[in-house]
Amino acid sequence: MASESANLKSDAILDQMKHHLSTEAGKEIVKKTGLVYEFHIAPEKIGDNEVIYTVDLKKGKVTKGPYEGGKPDATFSFKDDDFVNIVLGKMNPQLAFMRGTIKIKGSLSAAQKFSPNIFPKPAKM
Amino acid sequence: MAMRDLITGATSCPDPAASSSSSANPLGALANALIGSSSKTNERLKEIPTSTPTDPSSHPPPPSHFLPGSEFDKPLLDPSSHGSHFLNGFRSAAAPGGGALEETWDEIQRDARIPPQLDGGLYDRAGPPPHLQQPTLDGPPQRVLSNFLHSFLDSSRGGVPFHPAPLPMLGLSEGDKQCIRDRSSIMARHLFADKSEEFIDAQVNALLSSLDIDSNVRGKGPMPERFRELEDYWNESQGNLRLGPHPADGWITEYSQNRANLDNPDSWANSFQQQHGANGWVSEFENSQLSSMDQMHAMNMPNLAAMEQTRMLANTLAQNNDPKFQNSKFLQFVSKMSRGELIIDDNQVKETAPGDWATEYQQQYNPGHSWAGEFLNDKVSHGPDQWVSEFNDQQHGPIDDQWVNEFSKLHVGDWADEFGQQVAEGAFGESSSDNWAQAYDEYLNEQVAAKQQSDSSRGVYVFSDLNPYVGHPNPLKEGQDLFRKGLLSEAVLALEAEVLKNPENAEGWRLLGIAHAENDDDQQAIAAMMRAQEADPTNLEVLLALGVSHTNELEQTAALKYLYGWLRHHPKYGSLAPPELADSLYYADVARLFNEAAEMSPDDADVHIVLGVMYNLSREYDKAIASFQRALKLKPQDYSLWNKLGATQANSVQSADAISAYQQALDLKPNYVRAWANMGISYANQGMYDESIRYYVRALAMNPKADNAWQYLRISLSCASRNDMLEACDSRNLDLLQKEFPLQ
Repeated sequence: MASESANLKSDAILDQMKHHLSTEAGKEIVKKTGLVYEFHIAPEKIGDNEVIYTVDLKKGKVTKGPYEGGKPDATFSFKDDDFVNIVLGKMNPQLAFMRGTIKIKGSLSAAQKFSPNIFPKPAKM
Repeated sequence: MAMRDLITGATSCPDPAASSSSSANPLGALANALIGSSSKTNERLKEIPTSTPTDPSSHPPPPSHFLPGSEFDKPLLDPSSHGSHFLNGFRSAAAPGGGALEETWDEIQRDARIPPQLDGGLYDRAGPPPHLQQPTLDGPPQRVLSNFLHSFLDSSRGGVPFHPAPLPMLGLSEGDKQCIRDRSSIMARHLFADKSEEFIDAQVNALLSSLDIDSNVRGKGPMPERFRELEDYWNESQGNLRLGPHPADGWITEYSQNRANLDNPDSWANSFQQQHGANGWVSEFENSQLSSMDQMHAMNMPNLAAMEQTRMLANTLAQNNDPKFQNSKFLQFVSKMSRGELIIDDNQVKETAPGDWATEYQQQYNPGHSWAGEFLNDKVSHGPDQWVSEFNDQQHGPIDDQWVNEFSKLHVGDWADEFGQQVAEGAFGESSSDNWAQAYDEYLNEQVAAKQQSDSSRGVYVFSDLNPYVGHPNPLKEGQDLFRKGLLSEAVLALEAEVLKNPENAEGWRLLGIAHAENDDDQQAIAAMMRAQEADPTNLEVLLALGVSHTNELEQTAALKYLYGWLRHHPKYGSLAPPELADSLYYADVARLFNEAAEMSPDDADVHIVLGVMYNLSREYDKAIASFQRALKLKPQDYSLWNKLGATQANSVQSADAISAYQQALDLKPNYVRAWANMGISYANQGMYDESIRYYVRALAMNPKADNAWQYLRISLSCASRNDMLEACDSRNLDLLQKEFPLQ
């Protein structure tokens, strides 16, 4: 897929997640989690020019766009950089929430299960 | 815990009553006096040298602007506290044996609180009464000093410049002199608030010279006990900052200067912030803690203690229930800082929460106690209900609307029940009382990373301290040797010495960048490579390295720019690359051009390498793998190429293949930190957390500064349910980790 300059860093992470979910480890995650998350990721400011991803950890799928199968268990809104930092373990999601860096809607217990642990990490060339 | 002692005046938990009345506690007293002190009584007003028709028993009328400052105005905090606490604090901090001095100051202070009628009377006179002009210079030193200081005061009231006068030896100790100097400065600023700076200085100097006190030299002699603590602590926290010699009193004096115009309880905090900008001592302290954390990982405990201090400070200051005090910006500032609502970015302290719902909420309910902490500690079983009912009561209060709306939509009752239940079940997985301290620790860890990130992402290279190679005759050669031997961290130091010596040395910067990349630090790698590019804009290796690092950091636009630059500056393929394209690079175009180049020279390994990196950008991993494999056929000994192949395979979720490729790289270069870390990543991505831990630890043993690896290690420990080792990880205790997780 061609990349334009408007692409998000998070695209790469979520792409990797997509493929990850079909591996053994990915299937484990799906088994353990069993929830559906929606991620609203904005390049600069939360709410502006958002891209929506649905990470379905019930079926093990990552798709672009809102969740079609009903209501997601939790919806997160991030800035692109912040999403990446959380996934890479550089930012603590609880602290980020307390500070208003990320916004959460939906079930708290579902939101709590979102942690950097479920994401695969990118390797460095 | 020196700072805390100063604030609380005690080593045990602070008690509001104690801190407001303790006179053995200069800063606490000062804070109380200036922020919340009340109108002064005149009970100690004794005989005044000037004879004026006033009934001393009447209350001083309100706005007394004789001495500017609100300590004489509104009673705020504690009606029984006295402004004399201001000087009480100092007095008790005075050197022992300064009894005479203290009493003298007592008198002065009393005199100074003369209501305006008296003053008005004075100013009507043509000149001060005769007996003022010649202070009695006879008598015991104490009396002499006292009179002398009185006359200084009187002259101020009379609007007459003070005349220096020779005085007999007064036998003032250094400590005394210091006290006099400082206090007279402050006093003068109060008295002459409406006069110019020069006038004030002149007056003070006149006073001091008469007393034979050097007005510039700060006491080198024994300082009063409390001041020394404060000074030490201050100096310690200033460690990395290059401030001028700021003795403990410095800020007090400066503050006094600014008090003139402010008559509002927040003035203290405001003016302090004005003086020091957003970087109050608190954030300076934190900054220094941050920078010292960079180097002193092993000394994390003192830093954690310091963070703890800050929290305690916030708690202490918040003990006071008065809303005005609560609202003081300073308190908010410290509270926010301890709660992680502030970010230090670009060396400015910035708030991150657009709606300070946390702060406001805290102020509403639990000043001084983090609500969650209290909640977790005390009220687990009843918590949800109480919190919910309080919340519901306050829904119309001044809480951030957005937050309220969101939460009210969520059927707060359910949410809070869930929350309470989860807490009861220990869902947080940590002991509740540690939870927030831990979160704060993590916050600080984040800030370290963020600070480095912000420095490097601005292309600012961060040099190491204590570099043993500085001064080496030929650090470049040394660096190259070390690099060849595989001692990456040492090579970094030597190369830093080189570029410090020769900032335009492109090769020095380039090798430094490569060393950092191999050491798994892309931030520093980029910073160094940018300098290399500045020094030599056409260097192909530099351009490729920049392309790689930016690809790693998911900075797609920048990566594309550098890779295109590689093409443009290439002697052979430059013709393929029209310069106009550089302004609006589209991936597709660039990819096409590279393919053309590959067709031109199919045996040029470099073209294939660059193509491989390009395909990583577009996540066309199969093509990338093919390109790298072609390059490897031409350059099988290139360890970095094996790593690139491995990383590509890993990112396309072919972890098993990736591991073989990394192994090839490590066979060629055993100290290749990046490859070790990548190994860890591949194991972790496969759910093999225990193995991943060992590889991360191995990588970190070679380069303890590899922040990414620390973060990944932590995640793996948590996934492997090795929470027992999380502390070791947070405190970067490599010894323990290596013992626990050896690699066979």
